[in-house]
Amino acid sequence: MKRMAQLLALAWTLTLAGPALAQETVNIGLLSDLSGPTSAVGVPYSEGVKDAAKYLNENGGIAGKPINLIEVDYAYNAQQALAAYKRFTSQDKIVALQGWGTQDTEALTKFVGKDQIPTLSASYSAHLTDPAKAPYNFFVAADYSTQIRGALKYFKANWKESRPPKVAFVYPDHPYGLVPIPAAKEYAKELGFEIVGDETVALNAMDAMAQMLRLQKLAPDYVWIGGTTPSAAVIMKDAQKLGFKTTFFCNIWGVDESLFKLAGDAANGAYSLQTAVVYGQKVPGMAVIEKMTGGAPKMTHYIRGFASMLVMAEGLKKAAAKGPLTGPAIKDALETLRDYDPMGLTPPISFFPNDHRPNMAVIIYKVEGGKMVETATETLERKPEWLGK
Amino acid sequence: MHGQCGLFFRTYAGEAQLFPSRFQKIALALFFAALCLAPWAMNKYLVSILCLINISVIGAVSLNLLTGSCGQISLGHGAFFGVGAYTAAYLANLGLPFVLALPGAGLVTALTGMVFGLPSLRLKGIYLAIATLAAQLILEYVFLHWDAVTGGSGGMALDAPSIAGFAFDTDLKMFYLTLGVAVLCVLAVSNVMRTRLGRAFVAIRDYHLSAEIVGVDLFAYKLRAFGLSSFLAGVGGALWASYTMYITPEQFGIGLSVSYLAMIIIGGLGSVIGGVFGAVFITILPECLNFLAQHAGAAFTDLSGALLAMKEGVFGLVLVLFLIFEPEGLANRWRLVKAYWKLYPFAH
Repeated sequence: MKRMAQLLALAWTLTLAGPALAQETVNIGLLSDLSGPTSAVGVPYSEGVKDAAKYLNENGGIAGKPINLIEVDYAYNAQQALAAYKRFTSQDKIVALQGWGTQDTEALTKFVGKDQIPTLSASYSAHLTDPAKAPYNFFVAADYSTQIRGALKYFKANWKESRPPKVAFVYPDHPYGLVPIPAAKEYAKELGFEIVGDETVALNAMDAMAQMLRLQKLAPDYVWIGGTTPSAAVIMKDAQKLGFKTTFFCNIWGVDESLFKLAGDAANGAYSLQTAVVYGQKVPGMAVIEKMTGGAPKMTHYIRGFASMLVMAEGLKKAAAKGPLTGPAIKDALETLRDYDPMGLTPPISFFPNDHRPNMAVIIYKVEGGKMVETATETLERKPEWLGK
Repeated sequence: MHGQCGLFFRTYAGEAQLFPSRFQKIALALFFAALCLAPWAMNKYLVSILCLINISVIGAVSLNLLTGSCGQISLGHGAFFGVGAYTAAYLANLGLPFVLALPGAGLVTALTGMVFGLPSLRLKGIYLAIATLAAQLILEYVFLHWDAVTGGSGGMALDAPSIAGFAFDTDLKMFYLTLGVAVLCVLAVSNVMRTRLGRAFVAIRDYHLSAEIVGVDLFAYKLRAFGLSSFLAGVGGALWASYTMYITPEQFGIGLSVSYLAMIIIGGLGSVIGGVFGAVFITILPECLNFLAQHAGAAFTDLSGALLAMKEGVFGLVLVLFLIFEPEGLANRWRLVKAYWKLYPFAH
């Protein structure tokens, strides 16, 4: 009985301690996948967010108040994300949320809109950029559709032959893989590409030989890979085994530093579409990151996490300068960002009240000898008809 | 004066009562009163956990009816849950009131479940499990590709449900809605188990040949089990959709089916209360681990990281430990606890 009383007393103190802390810090929720199916990239991303918060706190925080990141591992499960979100809003009194993947971001879209909690996530589906549908959702990378469009534009501009270039699409039959395909095909047609085929390769595929054989017969000049690194590696290795020569280009989660180990020299010559710099590039933010990490290389996902926190902090600072930190104030502040430069880590970021596309720029890297070499940055026009598609 | 000691039934009906003793009725009434009042003393987080528990209870109890009571293994329950969610969202977006969309979702899911239950006539055990796994995969494919109805990869949004102009737009209101539906579902399944239908299910589970010999039409009853169980799963899915207000195909993956199976194994196969216990246990487990990781983290930083990394492992470990040490689930433990107190202090 005595122990029960002690436990109750402890629980009571903890509940009381919550709101008391909330007054002195800027509470931000951080939903991470540290143990679930996307943890391989979720862990470095969350490290980036946390290191950025640490850096910001060392440099004065938000209007003198430190950022208090409250992290919950939701294991890429919508139900757990929902519970964590409710805890953030009721116990931790967060003012903004750093989200993670498609599953949690979309399951929470309605809630963050209703509760007015500005959310920056790493799910770059184009439909989250339309404020009419997702008013409180933001992210700091060009959406998946814009990324492919940028790459297609780059390839078309560098196409030397007189015949139209041929392109094929390989993607998992999964929401994440399917989302940008209609936009990509439409734009490819508009640019004069010949679309020769579609293949699906699952995210956890062990083999893509059959698909590569079929594609080899169609002889595409360019092949889009819309998976994650393990499936991209399988595709590239099987293509190499078949002697299938083509130019692969992969989306943001399909090439990172782990691909070099998974695919070896089969990855050589592939293009990677990114929206942030890679570790070691000479930009002001990298000096900060190198200092914080003691020179230990970090994945590109880490850098995007870092940038995401920097952008959120900029919104928080702007809102704090005007008055109390509330969800609508932060949203309004974010929507006034014009070409905000997160220390060179990503192309400049702008949000508009009717358009949450951060920018229209995709950084194209080429994989050469186990390294990502920056090739070009392709910037598209901010066309209203592309918003949310 | 000699009072009765223990329960003495003089009629079969008396024995088949849901709550045979007055003590049970009073205890249950007090429990419900406490449950209904509890959210007022809780914050939104805890209320939302209660909502999730209510929804999981429906799913677990319905799967327990099919798998635990009738012996038909289903690995497609997560997808059936999804059919309910999508149907409810579609009907709600058509403008149908929630009171019609909810049973509508149940009916569509029941039909779907019965279609995928057709192979159960010839398949048993692991073979049926594979057939229902196929249902899971096919339905997931449909969610993802039938853009016109399901919104495809972009998902589907709907508004908070409302009944006669009263909108269930807060966690507290949703709690009462989900609790009400969960109670109805649990009562329905409890009652089914007391009828000819329920006894037929148990007969099929125990030995199909004997069941057939005593006059149970195997196919018809198996299909009924699929239909009934899917109906309830559909209702659960509809509540999930109404609660989150945004559904995507990813939410109804094989992981959800597995977690429902885990619920009924941990709770106790074939017992209604077992489904409830399992749902409570599995919903609370990750929250407890998160709580531990966070508060242990203040004292031991390393432990917090290790706990987080182990979370998924702990889920598996709990399942294995249950199978080894408590194969009949929490429901059996509950019976033992009750028996202990019945004999207290004269346990031998």
